[in-house]
Amino acid sequence: MTIDPKRWYPVAASDDLPQDHVYQTRLDGRPVAIWRAASGDVNVWDDRCPHRGVRFSVGYVIGDELRCQYHAWRFASGSGSCTHIPAQPDAKPAAAIRAQTWPVRERGGLVWTGITPEGEPAVPIDGAVLRAIPVNRAIEDVEPALKAIPDAAFILQPVDTERCVIRGLAAPERTYAIDAMLERLRLTLETV
Amino acid sequence: MTETPTNSLLWNDWHVIAEEAAPRPLRPLRTKLLDVPLTVRCDDGVINALRDDGIPMRREVRYGFVWACLGVPTRDIIHIPEAQDDWRCIVTGGAFGVHASSPRVVENFLDLGHLPYVHQGYLGAEEYGKVAPYQVRDLPEGGIIATGCKVYQPSASPAAKEGYVVDYIYKTERPLIVSLYKANPVRPGAFDAIYLFAQPVSEERTIAYTLNMFGAEGVTAKDLRCFQQLIFLQDKPILENQFPKRLPIGPRMEMPIAADKSSVAYRRWLSRIGLQYGTIGAEPLTA
Repeated sequence: MTIDPKRWYPVAASDDLPQDHVYQTRLDGRPVAIWRAASGDVNVWDDRCPHRGVRFSVGYVIGDELRCQYHAWRFASGSGSCTHIPAQPDAKPAAAIRAQTWPVRERGGLVWTGITPEGEPAVPIDGAVLRAIPVNRAIEDVEPALKAIPDAAFILQPVDTERCVIRGLAAPERTYAIDAMLERLRLTLETV
Repeated sequence: MTETPTNSLLWNDWHVIAEEAAPRPLRPLRTKLLDVPLTVRCDDGVINALRDDGIPMRREVRYGFVWACLGVPTRDIIHIPEAQDDWRCIVTGGAFGVHASSPRVVENFLDLGHLPYVHQGYLGAEEYGKVAPYQVRDLPEGGIIATGCKVYQPSASPAAKEGYVVDYIYKTERPLIVSLYKANPVRPGAFDAIYLFAQPVSEERTIAYTLNMFGAEGVTAKDLRCFQQLIFLQDKPILENQFPKRLPIGPRMEMPIAADKSSVAYRRWLSRIGLQYGTIGAEPLTA
């Protein structure tokens, strides 16, 4: 499938972003690096430094900047602009050098992104964030099976055409039970 | 499995496919060159390399390595004059499988800007991140040379007792072979030399070999081998996290700066000679 460019999709939980960590995942086959700046803002970027293509997710968070591991170029939270190139410290980096940024929202304990999403992410219910369950099956195969699980709201992250991640929210006292149900569901779906 | 327009340049060139010491009696070595499965054997002390499909292939043993050419070689194996110097300690550095294209491996070897970060404490130091200007020119027989490179290195070689500013020369005479010359810490005016040979296993997989030819004073073969392995293992995770795996050589596909002069020249050269195997965006070949 190709994703709906107008929709927001959850790609991480807020809890996946402890200080200094760069989380990596994919949306519709595209690798993204997700990180929280010291300011608290969350960034979703193409997981690739524009200089020599090294994954940003193996880089370092330094305050409000992400530093690429290969040549230590630094990129600003928010704009993705390159702020510092230590190989030529006296020159201001060209404006064209920037990380490819994605739209981002943090709502309901989840991090949302999309291609050109409209409006705001629809958080289905108030609740605790469920453990993310990756399933080695296409979103279309997983979605119908989730209807059998009560007391929770699910939103699927399309990883690529063959895989998705089940993300969702539930009443806090129900999360363990639902985790177990999702694990069983994953096994059932993947062994079909 | 056969010569194609994408690999013809490499098909008719010589490539390292094993260290001479690697195949043992009764323990043949299985490998691939340009996706072609090969077996390197050592029977009664004689090394032989064969294509698994039985099609004849040229092979040679030179400089401590087994070389092969799948097609008709357009030239001899690269000449390495330093390998004759008796004042050097000469040692091969092992075989390193890397999940990266061979041109990415060569480019990383040419790269000055990563030394202070990836090889921090050895070949560079963060406080000396600035890359001083250097010169790059084309070699008359093809390839490029970068001269006048200067890098502060805390531990430039196993013979180095302290940090110093090291003079460097880089040279790429064959698309997948690159060499560097760096000022020897104890012998004034002498240059240690390292050659890197990238074996193109497939478009996105490489086996990297090094030939290390350092002034023998203050080093042992073991030190040298260990040092080079340590350095290469610092590069490996970087190489394996570069995307796309194939080296983009078309204009404006990645963002270089002045310090990347040698990498820019290497990409342009590959584009000019039409190297398509392991690259993206080469100029179309004119008939």
